[in-house]
Amino acid sequence: MHTELMNLYYKAEENYLSNVDIKVFRHHIESLRQRLSTYEFLRDHEIEIFQPVADALQKQYPTQNPQTLEQVLRQAIALLRYAAMAMLLNNPEFLQHRLLEWLTEVVNAHQTQTLWRSCHELLSARLKEMLTDSEQDLILPLLDHAQATLVGVPAVVSVQS
Amino acid sequence: MISVADLVKEPLIPGNYYAADAYVQGDFETGLIENRKGARLIALPDILLQAIYAGLDQEVGQATGVVLFNCGRWWGKNFYRRFVEEVSEYYRRPLAEMEMVEFLQCLKECWKTHGWGTIDLDVGFYQQGFLVVKTWDSPFAAAAPKNTGQPQCAAEAGILESFFSQLTGRDLQCVQTACETLGAANNLFVLGLRERVEPAKAWLQEGQDHDTIMERLCRAQAT
Repeated sequence: MHTELMNLYYKAEENYLSNVDIKVFRHHIESLRQRLSTYEFLRDHEIEIFQPVADALQKQYPTQNPQTLEQVLRQAIALLRYAAMAMLLNNPEFLQHRLLEWLTEVVNAHQTQTLWRSCHELLSARLKEMLTDSEQDLILPLLDHAQATLVGVPAVVSVQS
Repeated sequence: MISVADLVKEPLIPGNYYAADAYVQGDFETGLIENRKGARLIALPDILLQAIYAGLDQEVGQATGVVLFNCGRWWGKNFYRRFVEEVSEYYRRPLAEMEMVEFLQCLKECWKTHGWGTIDLDVGFYQQGFLVVKTWDSPFAAAAPKNTGQPQCAAEAGILESFFSQLTGRDLQCVQTACETLGAANNLFVLGLRERVEPAKAWLQEGQDHDTIMERLCRAQAT
């Protein structure tokens, strides 16, 4: 159950909700509807989203062992699934606990940070093509957060040598 | 050419099996807690842990460590069995086929979710045949008497000895060389073949620290 809605249920124990509360409730329902439709979209278009990412990744790293690429892609697919659920639940901690705490060390050990960086860029670009602005606002911050956790925050200014 | 359609055919792309919110399930009405497979979990309040230390001290005195160590060994035996069962079922691979890093992550998350503090493995002494296990924020150390001159995490040492003996199929011994109750930042445990780790106990009695003990163990190993 969503925490925001739970709070409203508790508040309504002995009286009707105030107009402000009703407004808040309506807002959450609207937001839930949009999150649900975005979730459905991501679920139904999984292959369509990832195939171009996989192709582009292979093109960028032609000499890389295909098994490593597959492994990164498999992890990226898992990431989007967990991120989608975190978005639906409106709970970024879901992504953190269920996947990132576990995956970060795995990525470190495999030393696939560079691949991850490219994969994240390609995936973000692909989602920007396919989702509306408001849908992007729901899912992309979660992916950016995941990226920062997995490989560290990218430098704001790059120094050319 | 990588086919994403093939990749997503795999029924399960696993995440963190031991995520605390998924692993520990509670029921307020019955007051029971269980893990995600439905096995019962038991919560040990701080006061009980403190009472165990105090009670044992009164009943058996010096032998407290031995009693707790043996409890730990028994606990570790069952812990290993359950760990292997749960992990290989969830990740759909026998433990032996899992990558080292995946196994380690599972152990770390499992340790943390069970509320035993944080665990990390130092494989820097692998070539010499020793494994150093580091734990911190241990509830056992928190409940144990402080500054007694000897490490107090005997139960954990027992769990680790039993766990890694079963994992490697060898008779290993575990000796704790640093303890939070003695003011150290971490609890450190040395694991290795029984006869090779044995001298560490005497050095510990002499009051040697972890680094000295490791140095001597490695030197003894080299000769």
